[in-house]
Amino acid sequence: MRHALILLGVLIAGMGLSVEAGLLGPLGEQVGHLSATLSIFMVGALLLSLALVFVPKRQLGALFKQPRWLLTGGILGPIYVIVLTLATPLVGVGMTMVGILCGQVAASVAIDHFGWLGSEQRKVDGYRIGALAMILTALWLM
Amino acid sequence: MLLPLIFILLLVGGAVLAAQSSINGRLGAKAGVIESSWLTFVIGAVLTFLLMFFFEPAQQATLFSVPKWQLTGALFGVVYMLAIVFAVPRVGTAAATVAVISGQLLMSLLIDHFGWLSNAVRPLDASRYVAMALLIGAIGLIYLSHQQRHRRMTSQPS
Repeated sequence: MRHALILLGVLIAGMGLSVEAGLLGPLGEQVGHLSATLSIFMVGALLLSLALVFVPKRQLGALFKQPRWLLTGGILGPIYVIVLTLATPLVGVGMTMVGILCGQVAASVAIDHFGWLGSEQRKVDGYRIGALAMILTALWLM
Repeated sequence: MLLPLIFILLLVGGAVLAAQSSINGRLGAKAGVIESSWLTFVIGAVLTFLLMFFFEPAQQATLFSVPKWQLTGALFGVVYMLAIVFAVPRVGTAAATVAVISGQLLMSLLIDHFGWLSNAVRPLDASRYVAMALLIGAIGLIYLSHQQRHRRMTSQPS
């Protein structure tokens, strides 16, 4: 039950991501894609800085006690944005999204299956393959 | 010749997103959800600022001259990051990724159908209804996969 609630929350967060993309595209056309992306990271960083002030037990010190590769999450976001900006004018939005989603889903299943990046191992099973097939079919139908 | 290269680049771009979810989830489990989301946004802001400063061609409009509602995207970005950092250690990278993608695709179908955010109206037709059903089905299967795994793990003597 808890698991279902978490999945529902992530689903709703994903819906928000589409709204973000819908805002970001036209904004990028006007002010440039890097500036548009900067607005997201900048406003996000400032909002979370405010939130940090009110967190009861901050563990900022713990962040920098982790192995350095665990801190690279912020580097990967901009890489994704650059790939997106390079590819979209060359192959179009549709093809770009299909490529990105395929890579994303395949990598996420592989990460779980092999327990890469220190994650808990979750083997591929029939349900997971079924879910992948359904997403790809939906993508093709849209 | 260029096309396969671009497609590989796109696959890598997607894989990078999955890796980011996984890395952030792990960091979040160790150092707190808000703390690790904060770090991700700060590093992202620093990097994009440098990139913009040196590589962005000059534009007519700036972030300060566009209507303010166009700058609200970050609100959704922050909610997404918090959700991912919270969810990945609990449900795994693949389940979280499938849920995010289903949410994204469902919402884009709705945006098209109603023409929200000043997009052209593209009403839902039969094939798009099927697509919606498949996306909801995919979430259901991921949930079943978890249930199955849970049953297996609890049935084993520990």
